[in-house]
Amino acid sequence: MRILLTFPRFYLALVMALAGLPALLQMPAVPLTLSGMGVLTGWLGCGALAASLMLMVREPAIASCFGGLDRMYRWHHLFGVAGYVLLLSHPLFLAGQALPAHPQSAWQIISPGSPTWSGMLGWGALLGLMLGLGATFATRLRYSVWRPLHALLSVGVLLGIAHVLLLGGLTAAAWVVMLPIVLALTWRMLRVDRGQGARPYEVSSASCLSDEIVEVSLRPLAQPLAAVPGQFVMAAFFEGPHYRGCGEYHPYTISGAIPDGGLRLNIKALGDCTRTMQSLEAGVAARIQGPFGEFFASRNASPEVWIAGGIGVTPFLAQLRLGEVTRPTEFIYVYRTAQDACYLDEMERYAATHPLLHFQPLVSQNDLVPLYAMLAKVTDLPARQAYLCGPRLFVAAVSAWLKQHGMREQSIHFENFEFRS
Amino acid sequence: MKRIYIVATLLFWLGVTAIWAGSHWMPATQEVAALSPTKAYSLQAVAAHNRADNCWMAINGQVYDLSAYIPQHPSAPEVIVAWCGKEATTAYMTKNRGRPHSPYATELLQRYRIGVLDMR
Repeated sequence: MRILLTFPRFYLALVMALAGLPALLQMPAVPLTLSGMGVLTGWLGCGALAASLMLMVREPAIASCFGGLDRMYRWHHLFGVAGYVLLLSHPLFLAGQALPAHPQSAWQIISPGSPTWSGMLGWGALLGLMLGLGATFATRLRYSVWRPLHALLSVGVLLGIAHVLLLGGLTAAAWVVMLPIVLALTWRMLRVDRGQGARPYEVSSASCLSDEIVEVSLRPLAQPLAAVPGQFVMAAFFEGPHYRGCGEYHPYTISGAIPDGGLRLNIKALGDCTRTMQSLEAGVAARIQGPFGEFFASRNASPEVWIAGGIGVTPFLAQLRLGEVTRPTEFIYVYRTAQDACYLDEMERYAATHPLLHFQPLVSQNDLVPLYAMLAKVTDLPARQAYLCGPRLFVAAVSAWLKQHGMREQSIHFENFEFRS
Repeated sequence: MKRIYIVATLLFWLGVTAIWAGSHWMPATQEVAALSPTKAYSLQAVAAHNRADNCWMAINGQVYDLSAYIPQHPSAPEVIVAWCGKEATTAYMTKNRGRPHSPYATELLQRYRIGVLDMR
C-alpha cells in the first residue's frame, strides 16, 4: 500500500473512480433507453466535473501526488472538458427519446424557455459551463476580464448541483457529486484565491535584467517555504512605499535562494499585472504559496542536455547557483534577440569554473534550425537526459525533434512557461 | 482540448436546433388525445391495464394510458410500472421525498388522458 501511494496513477485511479461512482450508483435504476442514456451522461458529467474541481485544489502535497502541478492541471482540464461534453449530451439524449413519437414533447424537454425550475437551472448550468470554459480557452483576453468569465464555470457547477437536487433530492449519488464540489470550491476560495494557504514575505530588493524581466529578492516574514531553486511558487504582490500591486496570484520560478529562507524570483512582463511588477521596490508586501514543480526531481547519473527558451533559463540558472554540475552537461540557451538575453555573464562565469558544463548561447530569431544543428553535434545525445524549459510551442517542437533523433520519451523532462514568468 | 470544446458546443446547438425544427415540422405519430377525454372508467377497468406495455393509471380523478410513455420515463421502469392499473395520485404527488411532479410533468401527463375515473 505504501508503494502504491507513491504512484500518480494510483491517485488518478481514485479520482476516476470518484468520477464514475455517481453513475454507478444510479445504474440499477436506469432503463436501457435513450432517456436512460441521458440520465447516465448527466451523472457521468457531474462526476467528471467533481473530479475536475478536486484537481483544481492547488496544494503542494496534492500536486505532488499527481506528479506535479502541471500534470495535475492537465488532468483537471481533461476531466473538465469530458464533463462538459457529457453534460451537453445529457439533454439531447433525454429529448431524443421523445423525438420520433412526440416531437413537441422533445422540444418541451429541452426548450430554454422551460417554465420549470429544474429546466431553468439546467440551462443556467450549461450556459455557465459554456461561457466559463470558452473563456478558459480565450487566453488573449485581459486577465481582469478573463478571470470573472472563467469564474462562470463555478456558477455553472453550482446551478448544476441545484438542478440535480431539485430533480432527484439528496440521493447517495447527489452526495458523491456535491461533497467534493463544495469542498473543492471552498478550499480553492479560502486557501488559494484569498491566500490563506500562502506565507507572508517582503521584497528586499528588485533589479531589472532587461526591459521586460525583473529579478526580485524576497525575505520571509514568518516560517519560510521549504523551496528548492528550480521549483516554482505562486506569488501575489500588494502595497509598498511607492508601489500598488494587483494582488493576483501568478506562478514564478525560483531563480535562487538567499540566506534565512529568502527567495529570488524572475518576473517577465506578460500582462498588465506582471508589467506593473517591473517597477517592484523594496518593502512591498507579498504572499507566496508553494513550492511546486518536479523538474529536476528524478535525476540520475547520466550526462544531461539542458535546453532553455527565453525566460525558461530560470530553473537552469537556479541549478548553477546551487553550484551543482556533477555530470557532463550541454547547456543551450535560446533567446529571440540579443536584448532578450539575461544572465549571460553569470552563466559564462559558471561555464568557466565548471569543467563538466558546456554552455552555448544562441540567438534564434524564431528559427529553431540552428538549435537543431547544435543538438545534432552533442555527443551521444540519445543516451543523455534532456531538460527543456520554455514556451509551450518551443518545448513541443524540441521534444518532437529529440524523439525523432532517438531519445526515449522518459528521458525528456520539461516544464512550460505559459502563465509562468 | 479547445477543438473538442468548439466541436462539442457546435454539435450541441445543432442538436437543439434540430429538435426545435422537429417540433415544428415533424408530425406526432401517436394521437392519444383522440380518445374521448370524458369517458368514465371504473377502478376495476383501470386495474385490467397493469402491465408495462398496457399501463393505465388513475391520478387526481383522471384516467391516463401511459403505455407509450413508460420507456420515456427517466427513472427505472419498475418505479412507474408498479403503479400500472392502480390509483396513483399519492405516488404522483409524493415522488422524491414528498414533492410532487413538476408542472411540466403535469402538462405532459395531459397528453395521455383517456377519460375520468368513475367514482361510483
